[in-house]
Amino acid sequence: MDGFIATGLIGISLGAQYALLALGFTLIFGILGVINFAHGGFYVLGGYLAYAAGHYLGISYPLAVLAATFGTAALGYLFELLVLERVVDDQLTTLMLTLGLYLMMSTGILVVFGPQAPDFKFPVSGVLRGGGLYMPIENLIVLGVCLAAIVFVYLLVYRSGLGRALRALAEDRQVAAAQGLRPKLLFPLAFALATGLAGLTGALVTPVLSLAPYLGDPALATSFLIVILGGLGSVGGATAAAFIVGMVEAYSAVYLGGSKGALALFVLVLIMLVVRPSGLFGRESRGA
Amino acid sequence: MARPRLDVLPSKSNAGETVGILVIAAAFIIPALTRSPMVYSVANQILIAVTAAFSVYIMMRMNLLTFAVPTFMAVGGYTAAIAGRSFGITDLIVLTLLAFAVPALFALPLGALVLRLRGVYFVLVTFVLTQITQLVLFETPSLTGGSNGLVGMPAPTLFGITLADNQAVLSVTTALALMGVIVTATVTRIFRQHFAAIEENEVLAQSLGLVVWHYKALGFVIAAGVSGLAGFALVNMLLTAHPSSFAPLSSVNYIAYTIIGGKSSILGPLVGGCVLVWASDLLALQGEYSQGLFGFLIMVVVLLAKDGIVGAGAYWLHRLRPNRAPAMPVPASASFGPGDRT
Repeated sequence: MDGFIATGLIGISLGAQYALLALGFTLIFGILGVINFAHGGFYVLGGYLAYAAGHYLGISYPLAVLAATFGTAALGYLFELLVLERVVDDQLTTLMLTLGLYLMMSTGILVVFGPQAPDFKFPVSGVLRGGGLYMPIENLIVLGVCLAAIVFVYLLVYRSGLGRALRALAEDRQVAAAQGLRPKLLFPLAFALATGLAGLTGALVTPVLSLAPYLGDPALATSFLIVILGGLGSVGGATAAAFIVGMVEAYSAVYLGGSKGALALFVLVLIMLVVRPSGLFGRESRGA
Repeated sequence: MARPRLDVLPSKSNAGETVGILVIAAAFIIPALTRSPMVYSVANQILIAVTAAFSVYIMMRMNLLTFAVPTFMAVGGYTAAIAGRSFGITDLIVLTLLAFAVPALFALPLGALVLRLRGVYFVLVTFVLTQITQLVLFETPSLTGGSNGLVGMPAPTLFGITLADNQAVLSVTTALALMGVIVTATVTRIFRQHFAAIEENEVLAQSLGLVVWHYKALGFVIAAGVSGLAGFALVNMLLTAHPSSFAPLSSVNYIAYTIIGGKSSILGPLVGGCVLVWASDLLALQGEYSQGLFGFLIMVVVLLAKDGIVGAGAYWLHRLRPNRAPAMPVPASASFGPGDRT
């Protein structure tokens, strides 16, 4: 029974990490209509930036995480402004541009840092015990920061002027623009917010799990599964789906073993596409 | 947006298709010209890459980007390997038919399921599918040999002749590539108008009575079969069926060949495959490094020359010969995705 609860705790912390990752992806699709293939790349880049900031510049870990967040956000901002903005309405073109960026980022990381996994460890370690349950302290900290960041994103999207403007653009770009909202100013900001979230997730999670140049693909695939499950572009759906995916992965890793959990998830997503293509909450925020 | 594209409707002439088939058929004479194993190796790689890129091309004709090529290559390759090892089938014709039909049958339910939805879902699902493929290959050792892969297939035979030496392997690869290009040319010719209608404006095509997902699923099934041929050729060349031959990352290479070569003509994947495989070999680029170059080229092509090397070449040919008929004018909306006006 303790094992069952402990697995649930692992599932929740996985879910929180996935939620943070998938929120960025679903925001970009919801607001810009862009499938960001570089999202996994920004996750890996966040990890490497935090590692480099700590390892080469001697910055403490919390500041390194902040540096990674703003670094990835800045790169996302520039990429949207300089490359994507001109063709932002053409879904296939933006998809291929982000794919190109992803390939260049992966190769860049490989050239700079080499194929070996760097020695990137969480600064705090130890295990919290209580009533037969074990919880590594680092997982608790990551969980706490992830939840705080998710709350921040919700407040930003649903309670701030910027969030209202972004949601208006997601709802109907022409009308929003006619009301005086300026996509050319807001789209790079939205993209930066999303890539910053991916970078933050990478900086937080990779020291606990692992850091290697090729991790972008699995991160991207997980984001895809979550957003299909939650409904493309839906913020609430992505959050709920992330926790479902985290739980399924945790329990299947313990009770089924190997990678059968990933197979189960894929089948679940295919079933979802037949039964309810618009996702868990059955509402699409975007018809692109 | 205002920059004219050369041929939104692919030209009515079959020139591109004919040239493509002739170029691939010309590879049959390589064994008569040289014995250099280097040339054989590069020729094999190029022919397999081009065949795989054809299946990306078929889907691109309908504005659909597929990542699933390695998946269906694996299905085709492993099918041929298992047929040879476990059932003693060595007849090249039977093996070829199996390597085409089994992946096509795999693609049918998946296509029927995903292609009813918006194109976005297709992209996402095919991407996840390539990741899943590796897991399945590793998790089913009794069928696929798991991480050891399958080795020890008998060499294929044709009319009692065993095709085992270097020359024969290259001829088999050439024959498979030739079949791939003929199938691709036939399909994209027969359904030229349907595919073009879907590429141009899917909603309009649907409202005019075209059952869009039928054609998408059909294209997907054929593309899967063509990928299967490439997978068979790869397994036949390497003498082993191994998960690493069908890595998820390789899907991006086939996309790069098609996009950089030019997605509007069947010559695009052919030129792209030849140039990029040859360049990677020449520069001795390892997989990951060449992908950075491909990424850069994809961005350049998408931003500056939508129809890739072939499109740019055709454009300059037109410019140099002003007495030719001018390129077909294109409405500005042609460069938008199909779903944007829903």
